[in-house]
Amino acid sequence: MFAALEFPSIENLVEWPAFFGDGTFYAFNKIALISMLAVIIPTALFLLAKKEMVPRGVQNIVEGTVEFVEKQVVLSAIGPEGLKYTPLILTIFLFVFFGNIFEVIPTFQMPANARMANPLILAVVAWVSFVTIGIKSQGFAGFMKSSLFPPGVPKALYILVTPIEFLSTFLLRPFGLAVRLFANMLAGHILLVTFGVLCITLATASPLAAILPFSYAMLVGLTGFEVMVSLIQAFVFSLLTAVYIQLSLHAH
Amino acid sequence: MLAQTLMLRLAEEGGELGDHVVEEAANPILPTVPELFWGAIAFATLFALVKFVLLPPVQKTMQDRANLVRSDLDAADAARSQAGSAASDVSDQLADVRAEATQIIDAARAEAEADRARIIGAAEDEIAAARSEAEAEIAGAREAAMAGVGPSVAGLAADAASRVMNRTVDVSAAQPVVDRFLNSSN
Amino acid sequence: MSIIASTAAQISELAQEYTPAEAKANAGASGAGMAYGLAAIGPGIGIGYLVGQAVQAMARQPESAGQVQTTMFLGIAFTEALALIGFVVFILLKFA
Repeated sequence: MFAALEFPSIENLVEWPAFFGDGTFYAFNKIALISMLAVIIPTALFLLAKKEMVPRGVQNIVEGTVEFVEKQVVLSAIGPEGLKYTPLILTIFLFVFFGNIFEVIPTFQMPANARMANPLILAVVAWVSFVTIGIKSQGFAGFMKSSLFPPGVPKALYILVTPIEFLSTFLLRPFGLAVRLFANMLAGHILLVTFGVLCITLATASPLAAILPFSYAMLVGLTGFEVMVSLIQAFVFSLLTAVYIQLSLHAH
Repeated sequence: MLAQTLMLRLAEEGGELGDHVVEEAANPILPTVPELFWGAIAFATLFALVKFVLLPPVQKTMQDRANLVRSDLDAADAARSQAGSAASDVSDQLADVRAEATQIIDAARAEAEADRARIIGAAEDEIAAARSEAEAEIAGAREAAMAGVGPSVAGLAADAASRVMNRTVDVSAAQPVVDRFLNSSN
Repeated sequence: MSIIASTAAQISELAQEYTPAEAKANAGASGAGMAYGLAAIGPGIGIGYLVGQAVQAMARQPESAGQVQTTMFLGIAFTEALALIGFVVFILLKFA
């Protein structure tokens, strides 16, 4: 009576055949294509935006994005001294967002960040940024001291605290960044695939086709939800990078 | 727990034997080299573009607009304060004019008052002169009348007295008495 | 723990009918479901509490809503990480 739910294996969901260069280090598959588009689309938007005093159309979108990143991320997390890191934060925001948003764009239907590669690169960039900025602004010894030996702790406890601080600052931060983005997007992708597969299965199962509208409504709703998640994840990733930069700018 | 470990060991052995298993060790968690390669290229390109090509003009436009808005606001403020000072100028002038008008009115009123007083004074003088003239005339008339009346009164009085006393009374002797009497009765 | 053990025991009874590889996949799948289910409890409560408090703060001081919202997203990001690690474990157990 019940149609078997033929759920595709995970390899079919996230791994894509190469367009060219299969088997080499430059195998160009859908993920790489989305990465390229995540460069081309913002570039095109920024170049299309006219530089007029009264903004309209594309210029509104671009300036809105820049202003959002400046005000909500850089200024609220770092403050005025962080404005020189705006290019980095904005790049991270744009790259994450465009990597995410392809999750709901037809014919792509795949977030580039549901593969570990891009989140890992972004996390490494964030890690290198906050370590470099910390060393530059506090000096190597000062940075190590402020991040590994938090003040106000009894001397003996440093045996316990320092390894934990080392782990949380230098390993868990980038790991958390990468895994947060990756798992969010992978979960969203699997969620959409699940409801898509459910819709298809229900459409072919005659007695159960009656509940197809509910499943379909759920699919539409979740698509909207995933648009929101794409935006929030881009916001959170850039915000966390900014917060880490702020933490390494000054000794605490 | 024990059962699970046992089972897992079984499974591992099965995996080792594994012609049945299609596991290509394609772990969905681990990144693949080509994706890392293209992702890194993409990110580096986007960062370079944003930092050196894309962001500066947009930020410049926004800065220009902020400056423009600020200068416009400043200009509006200046214009407003200017208008305020002009308005106060106008009201100052108005007050001046009003004071002047009051002054002129006061002056006119004082002048009119003086005129009136002068005219009234002149009229009073004229009246006084006329009155004194008339009084003098009256006094003259009376004097004349008195002068006319005196001798006859004295004659009459002397006549009457001579009749009363049966003796002749000199009119010239009676004259001073008559005069005194007339003057006192006057 | 005993739940896991008993489930695993049941599966191992079933496993006699399966090849060892299938038995491993089954055990992985059941472990995966439980791992994610358990991992979702704490962060679920945590995010609920966090957002509730944030809403209260925003209702009390609407003028500081922007700051509270940013902090709320940060808090959600940190709390959510635990659930997401649970999800990664799920993927590892189920598919890897």
